[in-house]
Amino acid sequence: MSERGWDPQDWDEPTREVVRRRLEEVPPVRFFTPDEERMLEAVADRIMPQGDRDAGQRIPIVPWIDDKLFHDRRDGYRYEELPPQREAWRLGLAGIDQGARARFSRIFVELEAASQDVVLRDVQRGTISGEAWASVPAARFFSAVLVPSIVKTYYAHPMAWEEAGYHGPSSPRGHARKGLDGVDPWER
Amino acid sequence: MSEGRTLHAPGIHGETVPMRDLAHQEVDFCVIGAGAGGGVVGAKLAEAGFEVVILEAGPHWDPTRDFVSDELGSYRLFWTDERISGGADPVELGSNNSGRGVGGSTVHYSMVKMRARREDFRRRSLDGSVAGAELSDWPLSFEELEPYYEEIEDALQVAGPAFYPWGRRRRRFPQREHELSAKAEVLVRGCTKLDIPVAPAPVSTLSAPHGDRPPCVYRGFCNYGCTTNAKSSILVTYIPRAIHAGAEVRPDAMAVRIEHDTRGRVHGVVYFRGEDRAPRLQRARAVIVAGYSVETPRLLLNSASPAFPDGLANSSGMVGRCFMIHSGHQVFARFAERVNPYKSPPGLALSEHFNRTMPGAGFIGGYTVEVVGPHVGDFATRVAGARGLWGDDLRRLMRDYTHYSGIGIVGEVLPQRRNFVSLHPTERDVHGLPVPRIEFGYHDNDRRLIEHAVARMKEIMAAAGGQDVWSADRTAHLLGTCRMGRDAATSVVDADCRSHDVPNLFICDGSVFPTATAANPSLTIEAIAARCADRIRDLARRGELS
Repeated sequence: MSERGWDPQDWDEPTREVVRRRLEEVPPVRFFTPDEERMLEAVADRIMPQGDRDAGQRIPIVPWIDDKLFHDRRDGYRYEELPPQREAWRLGLAGIDQGARARFSRIFVELEAASQDVVLRDVQRGTISGEAWASVPAARFFSAVLVPSIVKTYYAHPMAWEEAGYHGPSSPRGHARKGLDGVDPWER
Repeated sequence: MSEGRTLHAPGIHGETVPMRDLAHQEVDFCVIGAGAGGGVVGAKLAEAGFEVVILEAGPHWDPTRDFVSDELGSYRLFWTDERISGGADPVELGSNNSGRGVGGSTVHYSMVKMRARREDFRRRSLDGSVAGAELSDWPLSFEELEPYYEEIEDALQVAGPAFYPWGRRRRRFPQREHELSAKAEVLVRGCTKLDIPVAPAPVSTLSAPHGDRPPCVYRGFCNYGCTTNAKSSILVTYIPRAIHAGAEVRPDAMAVRIEHDTRGRVHGVVYFRGEDRAPRLQRARAVIVAGYSVETPRLLLNSASPAFPDGLANSSGMVGRCFMIHSGHQVFARFAERVNPYKSPPGLALSEHFNRTMPGAGFIGGYTVEVVGPHVGDFATRVAGARGLWGDDLRRLMRDYTHYSGIGIVGEVLPQRRNFVSLHPTERDVHGLPVPRIEFGYHDNDRRLIEHAVARMKEIMAAAGGQDVWSADRTAHLLGTCRMGRDAATSVVDADCRSHDVPNLFICDGSVFPTATAANPSLTIEAIAARCADRIRDLARRGELS
């Protein structure tokens, strides 16, 4: 990591602790059932594909979504058409399987990646079939719950920061080269 | 009256400071909420010699320990209790605009300190009536508020340009402008190409040392709490003043009901402390509610009694009504140069060129164009939401994150009765109280304004040399729900923020705005609070408070 220029020594202690926990203390899955976990792993792998990384090197996504649901940490608002978050997730995952079965006669995890994408696009457009979607509007679930949860978790990881060209927080020293094409010495 | 023990509150440099304990006595004022409104009015009343308790639902932050330079690590700064968002255009709350903890939203605000325009106070007189909207004049004039704008600009040491091109001639900002960030240079370049006036933004982060606070280091995590204390939040300015002057700032104290008698005189506030399930009472001779546009009307509605079945201070039926937001639509583009949007405060340049009713534009009111610079997770989420991107497409675009720059509006939204905050009929919070339900839908005028703004912003970004120009639908600040006005039949408080119905009840936050303006609201909220404190002091001296 430090070869790439992020040197945690430059971070203040509270920030270092938050990132350390993210890297070293991935929580166990306690909210999702094993089937739901397997399925959300498959969904997350289509929303933020990490096929270029070895299995042990991938950014963990599902444990962090599970952790939020296990502790039921809310977001401060919920769109009226959606049920509370735990229910929304359970129903949404069930609905994705219902849609997969309706279209391909198989459950989501058994589908090829391309077919999985077809199912997810159906969710995104709100055209997916399945009774679960009567209580959870599919397009809203996709755009307000499913995708942001996965994307936010992915881009909270230092490996994702590196990929985006972001060298991580700089606190307390801040930034000196702030203008266009400005590159601080540790960002080279 | 027996003085309680001495408490210890967090200071701003990691130390603790002694604080009075006023829990067991009747105080002069109980202020509910320690943000832009409550912090200012509470501090000024304490300095005027009154006994003041400020109740705050969230923690008292220690900037040296509680703030982190990390997006997800900062979720505690936001109001995360459930709220139900409905209507034709349901709004995003939580981290988008709702703070929790001492300092309120000023802990994570973008620090743009714009004054409202002189015309903003007379919109009904100047623009006439608009069907479906409750366009009103303010019961205050710009001239009445101007000295308070100056007072707050001084207290927060606002940094701004020597010459500010819009509005009334004004005195110099207390601190000089900040060096432009790359994302601000992009806005300046685009506007300059199109002959649109543009200027460094007035912002409340220090450009030079002030007292025991150092200047800004351009760390860029302003929206997640400032670890260096350069940012002039209420947490590091008015709150220390309040405590020093003898006020008690009581954190983790969630107010749930305002106690009152059958004549409608308030005498205390019921609240819950931390995890303790036993309700407590803070006795007070007067109450000032400063919980912002959702929690303020929620508290008044939850304080209903047989004498006031529709909620306290609600004889007009306007408590909760005319809920407003600012449209906050954004345009992003990719640039050949590295913009590094994560560096520096978000909004260091702006244009008020479109902040006026423009004849022939097809709508009334206007918008300010500002700079936005999301951090990597926020940006990824925005791309995914606005463009429907996911999978390899999203990962590919995100490799260029440091080359994307953004601008966005603070757009005026008209007040409408049909946009309102109410109590949810079935859902309850941990205290068993109804959660708030918010209903919002844009007026046609708002939609035309947004369309105009997005088109202009795309032109600006293209003129600046941007490629891959795209827009994101966003909303910003919350306003209204307890509007101020002269007429008790159509408004909740008067120009002094005093309830028309309840003489010892005041409301002092963004909920009193009768119209939204197109300015970031914190400076106006703080100026109203500073004026409210002076008015209360004068009323009390004349014996007119009770």
